[in-house]
Amino acid sequence: MATADPFDSALDLLRRLNPKHTSEHLNNIIAIAPDLTEDLLSSVDQPLTVRRCKQTGRDYLLCDYNRDGDSYRSPWSNQFDPPLDEAGGLGGVGAGGSNEGAGEGAVPGERVRKMEIKANEAFDVYRDLYYEGGVSSVYLWNLDDGFAGVVLLKKASPQNDGASSGVWDSIHVFEASERGRTSNYRLTSTVILSLATKGASLGEVDLSGNMTRQVEQDLPVENDESHIANIGRLVEDMELKMRNLLQEVYFGKAKDVVGDLRSIGSLSEGQRDRETQRELIGSMRR
Amino acid sequence: MSSEKAIVSSFVEGAPPGEPRSLTGCLPDIKALTISSPNLVNELGPAFQKYNEEQFATVKLPGSSQQVIISSHSALGGGRYYDLESSCSFAFDHTTQKASAVESHVVDGEKADLAKSTLKALSTYVKEHFTNAAYGAYPIENDTKIAIIIVANKYSPSNFWNGRWRSLYIFNPASSSLEGSIKVDVHYYEDGNVRLLTNKSVNMSVTSGTGAGIAREIAAGEKKYQEELNRSFTSLSEGAFKALRRQLPVTRQKIEWDKVASYRLGQDIGGGAARR
Repeated sequence: MATADPFDSALDLLRRLNPKHTSEHLNNIIAIAPDLTEDLLSSVDQPLTVRRCKQTGRDYLLCDYNRDGDSYRSPWSNQFDPPLDEAGGLGGVGAGGSNEGAGEGAVPGERVRKMEIKANEAFDVYRDLYYEGGVSSVYLWNLDDGFAGVVLLKKASPQNDGASSGVWDSIHVFEASERGRTSNYRLTSTVILSLATKGASLGEVDLSGNMTRQVEQDLPVENDESHIANIGRLVEDMELKMRNLLQEVYFGKAKDVVGDLRSIGSLSEGQRDRETQRELIGSMRR
Repeated sequence: MSSEKAIVSSFVEGAPPGEPRSLTGCLPDIKALTISSPNLVNELGPAFQKYNEEQFATVKLPGSSQQVIISSHSALGGGRYYDLESSCSFAFDHTTQKASAVESHVVDGEKADLAKSTLKALSTYVKEHFTNAAYGAYPIENDTKIAIIIVANKYSPSNFWNGRWRSLYIFNPASSSLEGSIKVDVHYYEDGNVRLLTNKSVNMSVTSGTGAGIAREIAAGEKKYQEELNRSFTSLSEGAFKALRRQLPVTRQKIEWDKVASYRLGQDIGGGAARR
Protein backbone atom coordinates (compact mmCIF):
# COMPACT_ATOMS: atom_id res chain seq x y z
CA MET A 1 0.00 0.00 0.00
CA ALA A 2 1.33 3.40 -0.93
CA THR A 3 2.04 5.66 2.00
CA ALA A 4 -0.48 8.44 2.43
CA ASP A 5 0.51 12.06 2.06
CA PRO A 6 1.87 13.25 5.44
CA PHE A 7 -0.07 16.53 5.27
CA ASP A 8 -3.40 14.76 4.67
CA SER A 9 -2.53 12.28 7.41
CA ALA A 10 -1.87 15.12 9.84
CA LEU A 11 -5.26 16.69 9.06
CA ASP A 12 -6.97 13.30 9.37
CA LEU A 13 -5.36 12.75 12.75
CA LEU A 14 -6.50 16.18 13.94
CA ARG A 15 -10.08 15.26 13.00
CA ARG A 16 -9.87 12.22 15.30
CA LEU A 17 -8.12 13.65 18.35
CA ASN A 18 -9.89 15.65 21.06
CA PRO A 19 -10.70 19.05 19.48
CA LYS A 20 -10.33 20.70 22.88
CA HIS A 21 -6.56 20.29 22.54
CA THR A 22 -6.04 20.98 18.83
CA SER A 23 -3.18 23.40 19.46
CA GLU A 24 -1.33 20.85 21.59
CA HIS A 25 -1.84 18.08 19.00
CA LEU A 26 -0.72 20.45 16.26
CA ASN A 27 2.49 21.28 18.12
CA ASN A 28 3.10 17.56 18.64
CA ILE A 29 2.62 16.79 14.95
CA ILE A 30 4.97 19.63 14.05
CA ALA A 31 7.54 18.21 16.48
CA ILE A 32 7.58 14.84 14.71
CA ALA A 33 7.10 16.23 11.19
CA PRO A 34 8.73 19.68 11.11
CA ASP A 35 8.52 19.86 7.30
CA LEU A 36 4.78 20.38 7.63
CA THR A 37 5.05 23.40 9.95
CA GLU A 38 4.11 26.19 7.51
CA ASP A 39 1.41 24.20 5.71
CA LEU A 40 -0.25 23.13 8.95
CA LEU A 41 -0.08 26.55 10.62
CA SER A 42 -1.80 28.13 7.62
CA SER A 43 -4.53 25.51 7.29
CA VAL A 44 -5.44 24.34 10.79
CA ASP A 45 -7.73 26.69 12.69
CA GLN A 46 -6.81 27.19 16.31
CA PRO A 47 -8.44 29.25 19.07
CA LEU A 48 -7.50 32.89 18.57
CA THR A 49 -5.19 34.86 20.84
CA VAL A 50 -6.03 38.41 21.94
CA ARG A 51 -3.41 41.18 22.02
CA ARG A 52 -3.71 44.87 22.89
CA CYS A 53 -2.63 47.37 20.24
CA LYS A 54 0.13 49.57 21.71
CA GLN A 55 -0.79 52.54 19.50
CA THR A 56 -4.58 52.58 20.00
CA GLY A 57 -5.13 50.58 23.19
CA ARG A 58 -7.72 48.42 21.39
CA ASP A 59 -7.71 44.62 21.45
CA TYR A 60 -7.12 42.64 18.26
CA LEU A 61 -6.86 38.98 17.31
CA LEU A 62 -3.79 37.09 16.19
CA CYS A 63 -3.77 34.55 13.37
CA ASP A 64 -1.47 33.39 10.61
CA TYR A 65 -2.81 36.10 8.28
CA ASN A 66 -1.49 39.06 10.28
CA ARG A 67 1.74 37.35 11.29
CA ASP A 68 5.23 38.12 10.03
CA GLY A 69 7.78 35.95 11.79
CA ASP A 70 7.11 36.60 15.47
CA SER A 71 5.32 39.91 14.89
CA TYR A 72 1.61 40.58 14.42
CA ARG A 73 -0.05 43.52 12.70
CA SER A 74 -2.79 45.45 14.50
CA PRO A 75 -5.78 46.22 12.27
CA TRP A 76 -6.38 49.42 14.24
CA SER A 77 -2.91 50.99 13.83
CA ASN A 78 -1.55 48.94 10.89
CA GLN A 79 1.65 48.55 12.96
CA PHE A 80 3.49 45.32 13.72
CA ASP A 81 4.21 44.31 17.29
CA PRO A 82 7.08 43.85 17.90
CA PRO A 83 8.07 46.24 15.06
CA LEU A 84 9.59 44.64 11.96
CA ASP A 85 13.14 45.37 10.79
CA GLU A 86 13.29 48.42 8.53
CA ALA A 87 14.42 46.37 5.53
CA GLY A 88 11.37 44.14 5.58
CA GLY A 89 9.06 46.84 6.85
CA LEU A 90 5.72 48.10 5.61
CA GLY A 91 4.80 47.81 1.98
CA GLY A 92 5.05 44.04 1.67
CA VAL A 93 3.19 44.35 -1.60
CA GLY A 94 4.23 46.16 -4.78
CA ALA A 95 1.86 48.56 -6.49
CA GLY A 96 -1.05 46.48 -7.78
CA GLY A 97 0.88 43.32 -7.12
CA SER A 98 -0.34 40.34 -5.23
CA ASN A 99 0.69 39.06 -1.89
CA GLU A 100 -0.42 35.62 -0.85
CA GLY A 101 -0.17 36.90 2.64
CA ALA A 102 -0.07 34.25 5.27
CA GLY A 103 2.99 34.58 7.41
CA GLU A 104 4.57 36.86 4.82
CA GLY A 105 4.01 40.15 6.58
CA ALA A 106 0.80 40.59 4.68
CA VAL A 107 0.36 44.30 4.34
CA PRO A 108 -2.40 45.25 1.92
CA GLY A 109 -1.94 47.91 -0.74
CA GLU A 110 -3.44 51.37 -0.24
CA ARG A 111 -6.92 50.65 -1.68
CA VAL A 112 -7.28 47.35 0.15
CA ARG A 113 -6.04 48.85 3.41
CA LYS A 114 -8.77 51.50 3.10
CA MET A 115 -11.32 48.70 2.77
CA GLU A 116 -9.71 46.91 5.70
CA ILE A 117 -10.21 49.97 7.90
CA LYS A 118 -13.90 50.18 6.94
CA ALA A 119 -14.37 46.43 7.33
CA ASN A 120 -12.92 46.55 10.85
CA GLU A 121 -15.31 49.32 11.82
CA ALA A 122 -18.30 47.49 10.26
CA PHE A 123 -17.49 44.19 11.98
CA ASP A 124 -16.94 46.05 15.24
CA VAL A 125 -20.62 47.04 15.01
CA TYR A 126 -21.52 43.44 14.10
CA ARG A 127 -19.53 42.13 17.09
CA ASP A 128 -21.27 44.51 19.44
CA LEU A 129 -24.77 43.62 18.17
CA TYR A 130 -24.32 39.84 18.14
CA TYR A 131 -21.68 39.14 20.81
CA GLU A 132 -22.28 42.07 23.19
CA GLY A 133 -18.61 41.88 24.06
CA GLY A 134 -15.66 39.97 22.70
CA VAL A 135 -13.08 41.06 20.14
CA SER A 136 -13.18 41.32 16.35
CA SER A 137 -10.48 41.81 13.70
CA VAL A 138 -10.49 41.85 9.90
CA TYR A 139 -7.34 41.41 7.82
CA LEU A 140 -7.25 41.87 4.04
CA TRP A 141 -4.58 41.20 1.46
CA ASN A 142 -4.23 41.73 -2.29
CA LEU A 143 -4.82 39.09 -4.93
CA ASP A 144 -4.11 39.38 -8.66
CA ASP A 145 -7.82 39.62 -9.56
CA GLY A 146 -9.17 41.14 -6.35
CA PHE A 147 -8.46 40.65 -2.71
CA ALA A 148 -8.84 38.18 0.11
CA GLY A 149 -9.31 38.44 3.81
CA VAL A 150 -10.22 36.94 7.11
CA VAL A 151 -12.90 38.05 9.57
CA LEU A 152 -12.18 36.94 13.14
CA LEU A 153 -14.47 37.05 16.18
CA LYS A 154 -13.82 35.79 19.69
CA LYS A 155 -15.87 35.77 22.85
CA ALA A 156 -15.34 34.02 26.15
CA SER A 157 -18.08 33.76 28.76
CA PRO A 158 -17.57 32.78 32.34
CA GLN A 159 -21.00 32.18 33.85
CA ASN A 160 -22.17 33.84 37.06
CA ASP A 161 -22.46 30.49 38.80
CA GLY A 162 -18.77 29.87 38.09
CA ALA A 163 -19.51 26.27 37.10
CA SER A 164 -20.02 26.80 33.37
CA SER A 165 -17.75 28.43 30.83
CA GLY A 166 -17.61 28.85 27.09
CA VAL A 167 -15.36 30.17 24.34
CA TRP A 168 -16.44 30.96 20.78
CA ASP A 169 -13.94 31.58 17.96
CA SER A 170 -15.11 32.41 14.42
CA ILE A 171 -12.65 32.33 11.52
CA HIS A 172 -14.07 33.37 8.13
CA VAL A 173 -11.56 33.24 5.28
CA PHE A 174 -12.72 34.61 1.93
CA GLU A 175 -11.52 35.43 -1.55
CA ALA A 176 -13.16 38.12 -3.65
CA SER A 177 -12.51 37.82 -7.40
CA GLU A 178 -13.58 41.02 -9.14
CA ARG A 179 -15.34 40.54 -12.49
CA GLY A 180 -16.49 43.99 -13.55
CA ARG A 181 -19.85 44.79 -11.95
CA THR A 182 -19.99 41.56 -10.01
CA SER A 183 -17.63 39.86 -7.68
CA ASN A 184 -17.27 36.17 -6.89
CA TYR A 185 -16.92 35.45 -3.18
CA ARG A 186 -15.69 32.16 -1.79
CA LEU A 187 -16.06 31.88 1.96
CA THR A 188 -14.74 29.15 4.26
CA SER A 189 -15.97 29.51 7.82
CA THR A 190 -14.85 27.67 10.91
CA VAL A 191 -16.35 28.06 14.35
CA ILE A 192 -14.45 26.64 17.31
CA LEU A 193 -16.79 26.27 20.27
CA SER A 194 -15.76 25.00 23.66
CA LEU A 195 -18.21 24.58 26.54
CA ALA A 196 -17.69 23.10 29.98
CA THR A 197 -19.72 22.68 33.12
CA LYS A 198 -19.42 20.80 36.39
CA GLY A 199 -21.32 20.07 39.56
CA ALA A 200 -21.48 17.72 42.51
CA SER A 201 -24.13 15.42 41.05
CA LEU A 202 -23.13 16.02 37.44
CA GLY A 203 -19.38 15.58 37.63
CA GLU A 204 -17.52 17.13 34.69
CA VAL A 205 -18.93 17.72 31.23
CA ASP A 206 -16.90 19.03 28.32
CA LEU A 207 -18.41 19.75 24.91
CA SER A 208 -15.78 21.02 22.49
CA GLY A 209 -15.25 21.07 18.81
CA ASN A 210 -15.03 22.84 15.52
CA MET A 211 -17.12 22.84 12.37
CA THR A 212 -16.29 24.16 8.93
CA ARG A 213 -18.66 25.15 6.15
CA GLN A 214 -18.14 26.74 2.73
CA VAL A 215 -20.22 28.95 0.47
CA GLU A 216 -19.62 30.57 -2.92
CA GLN A 217 -21.67 33.42 -4.36
CA ASP A 218 -21.60 36.04 -7.13
CA LEU A 219 -22.86 39.42 -5.95
CA PRO A 220 -23.15 42.84 -7.61
CA VAL A 221 -20.51 45.43 -6.71
CA GLU A 222 -20.84 49.18 -7.21
CA ASN A 223 -17.88 50.34 -5.22
CA ASP A 224 -15.56 49.23 -2.45
CA GLU A 225 -18.24 49.84 0.16
CA SER A 226 -20.51 47.28 -1.46
CA HIS A 227 -17.68 44.72 -1.06
CA ILE A 228 -17.85 45.24 2.69
CA ALA A 229 -21.66 45.01 2.71
CA ASN A 230 -21.49 41.81 0.62
CA ILE A 231 -18.90 40.22 2.91
CA GLY A 232 -20.90 41.37 5.91
CA ARG A 233 -24.07 39.66 4.67
CA LEU A 234 -22.20 36.48 3.73
CA VAL A 235 -20.57 36.25 7.15
CA GLU A 236 -23.79 37.16 8.98
CA ASP A 237 -25.80 34.48 7.11
CA MET A 238 -23.07 31.90 7.58
CA GLU A 239 -22.78 32.55 11.33
CA LEU A 240 -26.55 32.29 11.76
CA LYS A 241 -26.52 28.96 9.91
CA MET A 242 -23.55 27.68 11.88
CA ARG A 243 -24.94 28.79 15.22
CA ASN A 244 -28.10 26.79 14.52
CA LEU A 245 -26.03 23.82 13.39
CA LEU A 246 -23.83 23.97 16.49
CA GLN A 247 -26.88 24.16 18.71
CA GLU A 248 -28.30 21.09 16.99
CA VAL A 249 -25.08 19.07 17.20
CA TYR A 250 -23.89 20.11 20.65
CA PHE A 251 -27.18 19.86 22.48
CA GLY A 252 -29.47 17.77 20.26
CA LYS A 253 -27.18 15.24 18.62
CA ALA A 254 -24.92 14.67 21.62
CA LYS A 255 -27.92 14.08 23.88
CA ASP A 256 -29.50 11.72 21.32
CA VAL A 257 -26.31 9.66 21.09
CA VAL A 258 -26.18 9.35 24.88
CA GLY A 259 -29.81 8.22 24.71
CA ASP A 260 -28.87 5.68 22.03
CA LEU A 261 -26.11 4.32 24.24
CA ARG A 262 -28.31 4.08 27.32
CA SER A 263 -32.07 4.34 27.44
CA ILE A 264 -33.52 6.07 30.52
CA GLY A 265 -36.75 4.12 30.12
CA SER A 266 -36.94 0.34 29.95
CA LEU A 267 -36.19 -0.98 26.46
CA SER A 268 -38.71 -3.83 26.69
CA GLU A 269 -41.48 -1.46 27.78
CA GLY A 270 -40.55 0.88 24.93
CA GLN A 271 -40.73 -2.11 22.59
CA ARG A 272 -44.16 -3.10 23.97
CA ASP A 273 -45.41 0.49 23.56
CA ARG A 274 -44.28 0.55 19.95
CA GLU A 275 -45.98 -2.77 19.25
CA THR A 276 -49.22 -1.57 20.85
CA GLN A 277 -49.04 1.57 18.74
CA ARG A 278 -48.46 -0.47 15.57
CA GLU A 279 -51.43 -2.68 16.37
CA LEU A 280 -53.56 0.39 17.01
CA ILE A 281 -52.58 1.96 13.70
CA GLY A 282 -53.15 -1.39 11.99
CA SER A 283 -56.65 -1.75 13.46
CA MET A 284 -57.56 1.80 12.41
CA ARG A 285 -56.57 1.02 8.83
CA ARG A 286 -58.84 -2.00 8.72
CA MET B 1 13.79 8.87 19.90
CA SER B 2 11.74 8.68 23.10
CA SER B 3 9.90 12.00 22.79
CA GLU B 4 8.66 10.98 19.34
CA LYS B 5 7.41 7.74 20.82
CA ALA B 6 5.68 9.61 23.65
CA ILE B 7 3.93 11.89 21.16
CA VAL B 8 2.79 9.04 18.93
CA SER B 9 1.62 7.06 21.99
CA SER B 10 -0.50 10.06 23.02
CA PHE B 11 -2.14 9.96 19.57
CA VAL B 12 -2.99 6.27 20.06
CA GLU B 13 -4.36 6.85 23.56
CA GLY B 14 -6.45 9.82 22.39
CA ALA B 15 -8.31 7.89 19.69
CA PRO B 16 -12.06 8.55 19.75
CA PRO B 17 -14.63 5.76 20.15
CA GLY B 18 -15.23 3.82 16.97
CA GLU B 19 -14.88 0.51 15.26
CA PRO B 20 -11.67 -1.28 16.22
CA ARG B 21 -10.52 -0.22 12.76
CA SER B 22 -10.66 3.43 13.75
CA LEU B 23 -8.09 2.91 16.47
CA THR B 24 -5.74 1.10 14.15
CA GLY B 25 -7.03 3.58 11.57
CA CYS B 26 -4.72 6.10 13.23
CA LEU B 27 -1.85 3.84 12.24
CA PRO B 28 -1.65 4.89 8.56
CA ASP B 29 -1.61 8.53 9.73
CA ILE B 30 1.08 7.79 12.27
CA LYS B 31 3.13 5.79 9.74
CA ALA B 32 2.94 8.61 7.22
CA LEU B 33 4.10 11.13 9.83
CA THR B 34 6.98 9.04 11.16
CA ILE B 35 8.36 7.78 7.87
CA SER B 36 11.93 8.43 9.03
CA SER B 37 11.48 6.08 12.02
CA PRO B 38 9.77 3.04 10.47
CA ASN B 39 10.31 0.94 13.59
CA LEU B 40 8.34 3.29 15.80
CA VAL B 41 4.95 1.74 15.10
CA ASN B 42 6.28 -1.61 16.32
CA GLU B 43 6.95 -0.04 19.72
CA LEU B 44 3.37 1.12 20.24
CA GLY B 45 2.16 -2.08 21.93
CA PRO B 46 2.06 -0.52 25.42
CA ALA B 47 0.05 2.45 24.10
CA PHE B 48 -2.49 0.13 22.46
CA GLN B 49 -2.69 -1.94 25.65
CA LYS B 50 -3.29 1.17 27.75
CA TYR B 51 -6.01 2.35 25.37
CA ASN B 52 -7.77 -1.04 25.27
CA GLU B 53 -7.66 -1.52 29.05
CA GLU B 54 -8.81 2.04 29.85
CA GLN B 55 -11.54 2.08 27.21
CA PHE B 56 -12.75 -1.42 28.14
CA ALA B 57 -12.32 -2.75 24.61
CA THR B 58 -14.67 -5.61 23.84
CA VAL B 59 -13.92 -8.72 21.85
CA LYS B 60 -15.86 -11.78 20.78
CA LEU B 61 -14.11 -15.03 21.62
CA PRO B 62 -13.65 -17.44 18.71
CA GLY B 63 -16.86 -19.45 18.28
CA SER B 64 -18.88 -17.24 20.63
CA SER B 65 -21.27 -14.35 20.07
CA GLN B 66 -20.81 -12.99 23.60
CA GLN B 67 -18.58 -9.93 24.00
CA VAL B 68 -15.98 -10.01 26.74
CA ILE B 69 -14.14 -7.03 28.23
CA ILE B 70 -10.46 -6.10 28.22
CA SER B 71 -9.46 -4.31 31.43
CA SER B 72 -6.70 -4.29 34.01
CA HIS B 73 -9.17 -6.06 36.35
CA SER B 74 -9.53 -9.02 34.01
CA ALA B 75 -5.83 -9.18 33.05
CA LEU B 76 -3.88 -12.32 33.86
CA GLY B 77 -0.54 -11.00 32.60
CA GLY B 78 1.40 -12.12 29.56
CA GLY B 79 -1.20 -10.63 27.24
CA ARG B 80 -3.94 -12.90 28.57
CA TYR B 81 -7.34 -11.92 30.00
CA TYR B 82 -10.25 -13.87 31.43
CA ASP B 83 -14.01 -13.77 31.53
CA LEU B 84 -15.71 -14.95 34.70
CA GLU B 85 -19.08 -15.73 33.20
CA SER B 86 -17.82 -18.11 30.52
CA SER B 87 -14.95 -19.36 32.73
CA CYS B 88 -12.32 -18.96 30.07
CA SER B 89 -9.10 -17.12 29.47
CA PHE B 90 -7.71 -15.96 26.16
CA ALA B 91 -4.80 -14.20 24.50
CA PHE B 92 -5.51 -10.69 23.21
CA ASP B 93 -3.59 -8.89 20.48
CA HIS B 94 -3.79 -5.20 21.40
CA THR B 95 -2.97 -3.96 17.91
CA THR B 96 -5.39 -6.09 15.90
CA GLN B 97 -7.90 -6.35 18.80
CA LYS B 98 -8.34 -10.09 18.19
CA ALA B 99 -8.67 -12.88 20.76
CA SER B 100 -7.14 -16.33 20.41
CA ALA B 101 -5.89 -19.37 22.37
CA VAL B 102 -9.00 -19.74 24.54
CA GLU B 103 -8.55 -21.94 27.59
CA SER B 104 -10.74 -22.95 30.49
CA HIS B 105 -10.23 -20.64 33.45
CA VAL B 106 -12.19 -21.33 36.62
CA VAL B 107 -12.06 -18.80 39.45
CA ASP B 108 -13.15 -19.93 42.91
CA GLY B 109 -13.62 -17.92 46.08
CA GLU B 110 -16.20 -16.09 48.13
CA LYS B 111 -15.99 -12.88 46.08
CA ALA B 112 -15.98 -14.84 42.86
CA ASP B 113 -19.38 -16.16 43.88
CA LEU B 114 -20.57 -12.63 44.68
CA ALA B 115 -19.23 -11.46 41.32
CA LYS B 116 -21.20 -14.23 39.60
CA SER B 117 -24.45 -13.35 41.35
CA THR B 118 -23.84 -9.66 40.51
CA LEU B 119 -23.44 -10.61 36.85
CA LYS B 120 -26.76 -12.41 36.92
CA ALA B 121 -28.58 -9.42 38.43
CA LEU B 122 -26.74 -7.00 36.16
CA SER B 123 -27.74 -8.85 33.00
CA THR B 124 -31.41 -7.90 33.49
CA TYR B 125 -30.51 -4.24 34.06
CA VAL B 126 -28.13 -4.08 31.10
CA LYS B 127 -30.64 -5.70 28.72
CA GLU B 128 -33.33 -3.23 29.80
CA HIS B 129 -31.24 -0.09 29.30
CA PHE B 130 -28.43 -0.69 26.81
CA THR B 131 -28.85 -1.78 23.20
CA ASN B 132 -25.25 -2.86 22.74
CA ALA B 133 -23.35 -3.37 25.96
CA ALA B 134 -20.89 -5.78 27.49
CA TYR B 135 -20.52 -6.20 31.24
CA GLY B 136 -18.24 -8.04 33.54
CA ALA B 137 -17.46 -8.63 37.22
CA TYR B 138 -14.17 -9.82 38.63
CA PRO B 139 -12.91 -10.63 42.13
CA ILE B 140 -9.87 -8.43 42.81
CA GLU B 141 -7.25 -7.76 45.51
CA ASN B 142 -6.97 -11.36 46.75
CA ASP B 143 -10.68 -12.01 46.71
CA THR B 144 -11.46 -9.04 48.98
CA LYS B 145 -13.35 -6.80 46.53
CA ILE B 146 -15.07 -7.04 43.19
CA ALA B 147 -14.72 -4.86 40.11
CA ILE B 148 -17.83 -4.37 37.97
CA ILE B 149 -17.65 -2.97 34.44
CA ILE B 150 -20.34 -1.94 31.96
CA VAL B 151 -19.34 -0.69 28.52
CA ALA B 152 -21.76 0.28 25.75
CA ASN B 153 -20.64 1.22 22.25
CA LYS B 154 -22.74 2.56 19.44
CA TYR B 155 -21.10 3.33 16.11
CA SER B 156 -22.90 5.10 13.29
CA PRO B 157 -20.19 5.97 10.76
CA SER B 158 -22.78 6.62 8.04
CA ASN B 159 -24.13 9.42 10.24
CA PHE B 160 -20.63 10.54 11.29
CA TRP B 161 -20.92 9.77 14.99
CA ASN B 162 -19.69 7.19 17.47
CA GLY B 163 -20.33 6.93 21.18
CA ARG B 164 -19.19 5.06 24.25
CA TRP B 165 -20.59 4.77 27.78
CA ARG B 166 -18.39 3.08 30.32
CA SER B 167 -18.86 2.58 34.03
CA LEU B 168 -16.50 1.02 36.53
CA TYR B 169 -17.38 0.18 40.13
CA ILE B 170 -15.30 -1.32 42.90
CA PHE B 171 -17.45 -2.95 45.57
CA ASN B 172 -15.84 -3.29 48.96
CA PRO B 173 -17.87 -5.71 51.15
CA ALA B 174 -15.94 -4.63 54.27
CA SER B 175 -17.33 -1.08 54.05
CA SER B 176 -20.40 -1.82 51.86
CA SER B 177 -19.19 0.91 49.53
CA LEU B 178 -19.47 1.12 45.79
CA GLU B 179 -16.92 3.50 44.26
CA GLY B 180 -16.14 4.23 40.68
CA SER B 181 -16.90 6.41 37.70
CA ILE B 182 -19.24 6.82 34.76
CA LYS B 183 -17.71 8.24 31.58
CA VAL B 184 -19.42 9.16 28.32
CA ASP B 185 -17.48 9.83 25.12
CA VAL B 186 -19.26 10.96 21.95
CA HIS B 187 -17.49 11.88 18.70
CA TYR B 188 -19.30 13.70 15.89
CA TYR B 189 -17.24 14.36 12.77
CA GLU B 190 -19.31 15.57 9.83
CA ASP B 191 -17.27 18.47 8.35
CA GLY B 192 -15.82 19.01 11.76
CA ASN B 193 -14.75 17.38 14.98
CA VAL B 194 -17.01 17.64 18.01
CA ARG B 195 -16.44 15.68 21.20
CA LEU B 196 -18.50 15.21 24.35
CA LEU B 197 -16.43 13.95 27.26
CA THR B 198 -17.93 13.45 30.69
CA ASN B 199 -16.60 12.05 33.94
CA LYS B 200 -18.69 11.46 37.02
CA SER B 201 -17.17 9.87 40.08
CA VAL B 202 -19.49 7.61 42.01
CA ASN B 203 -19.43 6.91 45.72
CA MET B 204 -22.44 5.03 47.03
CA SER B 205 -23.16 2.80 49.96
CA VAL B 206 -24.91 -0.47 49.31
CA THR B 207 -27.53 -1.49 51.85
CA SER B 208 -27.74 -5.09 50.73
CA GLY B 209 -24.37 -6.52 49.76
CA THR B 210 -25.86 -9.17 47.51
CA GLY B 211 -25.49 -9.28 43.75
CA ALA B 212 -29.05 -8.04 43.37
CA GLY B 213 -28.44 -5.22 45.86
CA ILE B 214 -25.31 -4.08 44.02
CA ALA B 215 -27.05 -4.16 40.62
CA ARG B 216 -29.98 -2.18 42.06
CA GLU B 217 -27.65 0.63 43.31
CA ILE B 218 -25.86 0.75 39.96
CA ALA B 219 -29.17 0.97 38.06
CA ALA B 220 -30.48 3.78 40.27
CA GLY B 221 -27.19 5.71 40.15
CA GLU B 222 -26.88 5.50 36.36
CA LYS B 223 -30.47 6.60 35.83
CA LYS B 224 -29.92 9.60 38.09
CA TYR B 225 -26.69 10.46 36.29
CA GLN B 226 -28.22 10.32 32.82
CA GLU B 227 -31.09 12.58 33.90
CA GLU B 228 -28.56 15.02 35.35
CA LEU B 229 -26.51 14.91 32.14
CA ASN B 230 -29.62 15.60 30.04
CA ARG B 231 -30.40 18.62 32.21
CA SER B 232 -26.85 19.90 31.70
CA PHE B 233 -27.37 19.98 27.90
CA THR B 234 -30.34 22.28 28.43
CA SER B 235 -28.55 24.50 30.92
CA LEU B 236 -25.44 24.79 28.71
CA SER B 237 -27.60 25.67 25.71
CA GLU B 238 -29.63 28.24 27.64
CA GLY B 239 -26.66 29.54 29.64
CA ALA B 240 -23.08 29.49 28.39
CA PHE B 241 -23.99 29.06 24.71
CA LYS B 242 -26.52 31.91 24.63
CA ALA B 243 -24.14 34.18 26.49
CA LEU B 244 -21.52 33.77 23.73
CA ARG B 245 -23.46 34.83 20.67
CA ARG B 246 -27.03 36.01 20.11
CA GLN B 247 -29.10 34.43 17.37
CA LEU B 248 -30.13 37.93 16.23
CA PRO B 249 -29.35 41.42 17.55
CA VAL B 250 -31.64 42.88 20.22
CA THR B 251 -33.63 44.56 17.42
CA ARG B 252 -34.44 41.03 16.14
CA GLN B 253 -33.37 42.15 12.69
CA LYS B 254 -30.32 41.44 10.62
CA ILE B 255 -27.82 44.23 10.11
CA GLU B 256 -28.37 46.81 7.36
CA TRP B 257 -24.86 46.59 6.02
CA ASP B 258 -25.04 49.57 3.68
CA LYS B 259 -25.90 51.79 6.62
CA VAL B 260 -23.32 50.24 8.91
CA ALA B 261 -20.51 50.99 6.50
CA SER B 262 -21.52 54.58 5.76
CA TYR B 263 -22.26 55.29 9.42
CA ARG B 264 -18.81 54.21 10.47
CA LEU B 265 -17.13 55.91 7.56
CA GLY B 266 -18.65 59.21 8.62
CA GLN B 267 -17.33 58.77 12.14
CA ASP B 268 -13.86 57.62 11.30
CA ILE B 269 -12.26 59.80 8.69
CA GLY B 270 -8.60 59.25 9.12
CA GLY B 271 -9.26 55.65 9.88
CA GLY B 272 -8.56 53.16 12.61
CA ALA B 273 -8.98 55.49 15.57
CA ALA B 274 -10.80 54.19 18.59
CA ARG B 275 -14.40 55.28 18.85
CA ARG B 276 -16.13 53.62 21.72
